[in-house]
Amino acid sequence: MTKQRGPVFAGLLIALILLAFLVIPVVQVIYVAFQDPASGALTLVNFSDFFRSSLFQESFFNSFYVAAMSVVVATIIALPLAYFTSRFNFAGAAIIQTLGFIPLIMPPFVGAVAMLLLFGENGSVNLLLDEHLGFTIPFMEGLNGVIFVQSIHYFPFILINLSAALNNVDRSMEESAQNLGASGMRLFRRIVFPLAMPGYVAGAALVFLKVFDDLGTPLLLNVNTMLAPQAYLRISSIGISDPMGYVISVILVVFSLFALWTSMLALKGKDYSTLQKGGGGMLKRELRGGQKIAAYALILLILLLVLSPHIGLTLLSFGTVWSYSPLPDAYTLDHYRMVFGSAREYITNTLLYAGLAASFDVILATAIAYIVYRTGMKGRKWLDYIATASLAVPGVVLGIGYLRTYNDFNVPFLDKPMASWWVIIVVALTIRRLPYALRACVAALQQVSVMLEEAAQNLGATRSRTLWRVVVPLMSGGMIAGFVTSFATASVELSATIMLVSQESDAPLAFGIYEFMQSASGRGAGAALGMIAVVIVGLGTYFSHRVIERSHKLRTAERQIAEEVT
Amino acid sequence: MLKRKILFTVAASVFLGMSTLVQATEGKLVVVTSYPPDTTTTFKKAFEKKYPGIKVEMLKKKTTAGVKYLQETAGNNTSDLFWASAPDAFEILKGDDLLQKYQTKVKGIPEKVGAFPINDPDGYYKGFAASGYGIMWNTRYLKAKKLPVPHEWEDLTKAVYHNHVGMSAPSRSGTTHLTVETVLQGKGWEEGWATWKEIAGNMKTITERSFGVPDGVNSGQFGIGIVIDFFGLSSKASGFPVDFVYPSVTTLVPANIAIVKNAPHRETAADFIEFLLSDEGQALLLDPKIMRLPVNPKAYAKAPANFPNPFKDNSIGSGVKFDLALSKSRYNVVNSLFDVMITYRLDDLRTAVKAIQDAEAALQGNNNPAAQKLIAQAKDLVNAVPIDAAKASDEAFNSIFKKKRKKASTKVTGRQAEIEQQWDEMIKANYAKATQLANKAKSML
Amino acid sequence: MSSESVGISIRNLGLAFGDNEVLRDISLDIAPGEFFAFLGPSGSGKSTLLRAVAGFGPRPSGQILIGGEDVVDLPPWKRNLGMVFQSYALWPHMTVRKNIAFGLEERRLPAAEIRRRVDEALELVGMTAFAGRRPSQLSGGQQQRVAIARTIVVEPKVLLLDEPLSNLDANLRIQMRRDIRALQQRLQLTTIFVTHDQEEANTTSDRMAVLNDGYLQQVGTPMELYDNPSNLFVARFLGTANILPGSIVEEDGRKVFVSDSGVTFPLDIEGEGQRSIVFRPQNASIHCGRVEADDAHIDLPGVIVHTEFLGSIVRYGVKVGNETLLLDLPHIQGEGLIAEGTEVTVLVARERILALAG
Repeated sequence: MTKQRGPVFAGLLIALILLAFLVIPVVQVIYVAFQDPASGALTLVNFSDFFRSSLFQESFFNSFYVAAMSVVVATIIALPLAYFTSRFNFAGAAIIQTLGFIPLIMPPFVGAVAMLLLFGENGSVNLLLDEHLGFTIPFMEGLNGVIFVQSIHYFPFILINLSAALNNVDRSMEESAQNLGASGMRLFRRIVFPLAMPGYVAGAALVFLKVFDDLGTPLLLNVNTMLAPQAYLRISSIGISDPMGYVISVILVVFSLFALWTSMLALKGKDYSTLQKGGGGMLKRELRGGQKIAAYALILLILLLVLSPHIGLTLLSFGTVWSYSPLPDAYTLDHYRMVFGSAREYITNTLLYAGLAASFDVILATAIAYIVYRTGMKGRKWLDYIATASLAVPGVVLGIGYLRTYNDFNVPFLDKPMASWWVIIVVALTIRRLPYALRACVAALQQVSVMLEEAAQNLGATRSRTLWRVVVPLMSGGMIAGFVTSFATASVELSATIMLVSQESDAPLAFGIYEFMQSASGRGAGAALGMIAVVIVGLGTYFSHRVIERSHKLRTAERQIAEEVT
Repeated sequence: MLKRKILFTVAASVFLGMSTLVQATEGKLVVVTSYPPDTTTTFKKAFEKKYPGIKVEMLKKKTTAGVKYLQETAGNNTSDLFWASAPDAFEILKGDDLLQKYQTKVKGIPEKVGAFPINDPDGYYKGFAASGYGIMWNTRYLKAKKLPVPHEWEDLTKAVYHNHVGMSAPSRSGTTHLTVETVLQGKGWEEGWATWKEIAGNMKTITERSFGVPDGVNSGQFGIGIVIDFFGLSSKASGFPVDFVYPSVTTLVPANIAIVKNAPHRETAADFIEFLLSDEGQALLLDPKIMRLPVNPKAYAKAPANFPNPFKDNSIGSGVKFDLALSKSRYNVVNSLFDVMITYRLDDLRTAVKAIQDAEAALQGNNNPAAQKLIAQAKDLVNAVPIDAAKASDEAFNSIFKKKRKKASTKVTGRQAEIEQQWDEMIKANYAKATQLANKAKSML
Repeated sequence: MSSESVGISIRNLGLAFGDNEVLRDISLDIAPGEFFAFLGPSGSGKSTLLRAVAGFGPRPSGQILIGGEDVVDLPPWKRNLGMVFQSYALWPHMTVRKNIAFGLEERRLPAAEIRRRVDEALELVGMTAFAGRRPSQLSGGQQQRVAIARTIVVEPKVLLLDEPLSNLDANLRIQMRRDIRALQQRLQLTTIFVTHDQEEANTTSDRMAVLNDGYLQQVGTPMELYDNPSNLFVARFLGTANILPGSIVEEDGRKVFVSDSGVTFPLDIEGEGQRSIVFRPQNASIHCGRVEADDAHIDLPGVIVHTEFLGSIVRYGVKVGNETLLLDLPHIQGEGLIAEGTEVTVLVARERILALAG
């Protein structure tokens, strides 16, 4: 190891950032959980209250059930998409992958509104079913609705990770199993899926965590016997001293950390993804006639399902009145006209916040990944752990934490509290989305052989030059992937921003949509704004995807040529 | 490629960021409000037109979140006005010493609307519009399901409305709290709660946001909603197939505005209040997208036909004399009770009420005293409230639920979570037992 | 462990990746129980040919008959051919035992029989002690043994080995190729072995096929191919060859070879035109000065341009015309080197030279 002054400095800086914008604000909020409500003394009595309360036990169980079931349903959605697009020559695989990503870029509460209109008890589907077949299906009743909306919203996490893992499974692993007589589902169940397991577990853990912590969807569906809504309802009630909201926040954070830790444990020593010498990437197979039709039909059905929020939103944004009928009464462009003026500010704000946050995320994530996996710094693993732990912090908790911590801190030259400065929104988004970028960058760095770096250093490049000229270019695919994920999800974030927007001119799109959706005449307008958000973020995502695809193709093509030739 | 992209993003951001910062702080007004953009934009535009050079910032927060926001940011306040409906929210802020006294200059506004004083007697917040709770319904929905139009709260307790009603929770929405409290005061503690439970037993859902109710009725998720008037009126004005009615027991309460303590732009804030109360400002309330009852009687001259006028029609809001002090004395307890008994146990409650309704339907035209007795017992179990009215207003008991205690010496015994758990145990058992009794009664018929 | 050996016939096999033809009209026969090598440089198509036999890759044209049955349209899992992959392709999520048991489980055999046969296979490759380990805990050679055990335990009709030794170090490679050969002999299993290393092919296989650029060049025993290459590619690819390009012309009613650099001698073969004279370095002798050849030899005058002492032999570079020929003489103790610059005559027995087209 050479001198490490640079990495040490960067490491300390990152540690400081994480401390200031993650650890301290969260501690500021949750310490209330350890205070006696009457005397203010430190105590654990609130926790014993929590575990004794049947309502909280039920909420805990419901949250767990919903999170677990969402993983199951999301898997059912993601698995065929990932499998078919990664294993077979499939026309439009890139489009399918992009469409599969789109649910992520819609604020979940907007999705829930659209889903209610389509799948609610008196939504389009059930009205039609009732009229023609005389029965209805309770898609959206109680916990079902939450599971349904959440799995459709979050399944892309599984899709993305699983697709990547499937693409990284050495071809000969599968071929040798076929050679020994395995095929079809058995081949998938015994060989392909276990080998792609690390990617799947990573995606499934994310889904579990996001659903477990998510607030917007259960609130919008009026399901309140879950942990996150309970915490929120109790924290945001007027003047109530109930510390249970904070206790629940602690429980949420601790349980999420536990789930993260379990998934990390499950993955230990199971990284099969790196290609072995002499193996090769995936060779895509052809589907035969009947199979092809069946596969396309299945994928179309799934896409129709996962895009139903968008279909509903489109109808809503063009519809005049949509009330107790399968479709809107008539169509109009008025809603778009109405939001066009105000949308500009929301859009610039969103692009600015999400763009900055995603850029910071990629920079921080690359630095953390490098420090953790390429230096011998003491305590470096903790950077990874703490940055990842922000996954486990509900947005509301972080939002309140910032208000508490930074309200008394004035920004120099601006003379306003840091908590009401727009930059705090960027900071919140950066911290909230850092884990996504971090995982992408870590994965990218792990695929860069240390030998390539050693070769550069051997030829006289310093550590920083090597980083800049060899490591970063080779990681660029992963960095772009991290940027895209952070950007797309940050641009629809609401839970933390809703606490932090201090003036209308600072509000991002999701906030604007939420506002519009709070009035009878604003529903169509909110939907129109939502559509604009989806289109803008969708286009951004698609183009970044193309960039990644192109660089990836180039590399696989070279490898394939090299291999076919032997 | 990536490098250039990031550079571009950063450069663009810096540029955009600068433009956001350049806004002068002088000609500005920051309003924390719970009102939807329809309302806020209308007033913002009119005010900015009248006072050129001033930029109004409408900061949309749910009432409860707005209170929380002002509490959290009090140490370094940047907001000028708090503009929302529920007087209780203003009471809380007043209690926390977060509001600024202000004396209005406008003339011609009566003391009271219905039975409710328009302005805060202590001079902290001013009423600018009146609103009352009522019932809204989706006409298509009622027609499709062949349901009669409800007019009174009692109508909503009827079995025919089972699973068709929606409302918000008082802990979530200040105005819903007013409605709950109004019925409690109008009918008395025991009977009031009984009415609420019977209505709640018919509920499809308890929405988290107060707007969730008109939203649900508008889209037809449920047919009938308990809403504040302007939600019903503005939904109708927006073209939805809905209608609205005031039941006889309702309270007209003023929607309010107040200057926040240490407001950075106090003068402009005062101008805004005066504008809101002027003939011009009051007329804006009749905009079809807003539809609130003006507090200035003169404004009704321009109102559309059939628009309710509380200063003429004495039946609106006069059925009950609202006691603000009583409401205040048990504010949090009522919220907590409603959540424990209704919001969080809606499924159990619905099951019990449904069982009772079924048993009662079976009883029709039957003479079976034993079954009748069982049904009565079941009803009593459902209607039982863990504490009586006196306890609910007890200061010491209330302080368990309060964040800031008036006196440090106030004795507090028990914790909210502990007490709610005791209530919950009782409620859950009662509902289960009631269901069982009602089913037993039905099986006897 | 093995059942009846089967033969393989490949008939007019062609295969393309899109527009890129990688196998062109290949026909060959492999006898039952034969150890057969596909030999060729990178890009020759040898791996593709093996994979086509196993059923991987695009569907080829032509026929692949295994035991008389055309398998071209059978999916890989129905061919019952055992393939050992270059990377071994051991599944990292399974133990050695589970890896080996996999194929038997796919054949739905009873658990007891699976256990017995896995034990036998483990013993056969000497890996019994490692049954509980994961592939990542094994050395390259051990992984190789497991891969072989996993393949033969299902008693495949044919064993296909795709560069199985390329990931091993030199010493292990020699050991393993002996082991593989011994195992194949014991099981009498028809085996195809893909390699780019002629020594490997020579030492293990009964016969071999040399491929280049998608074409089958020649089939035969290693010695046949070495001694009688049918074209210049095979001659060059298998060991060192001296090649004198030139042409056959008729002079005074006799056929004469005229090299491009002007060396001439009579050569009685059929046909005329471009020919290259080919002979191996050890099939000639060097004589100092000018020596006339008798009828059984040809004589090539030249000058020693370099010498390499290699222990058992000495390799001389002799410049004949513009060509430098390589000649190996056995080194006998006490004999010195011929000095560089010495004028010599190279004598080659006529029966040991080939005149190949091109």
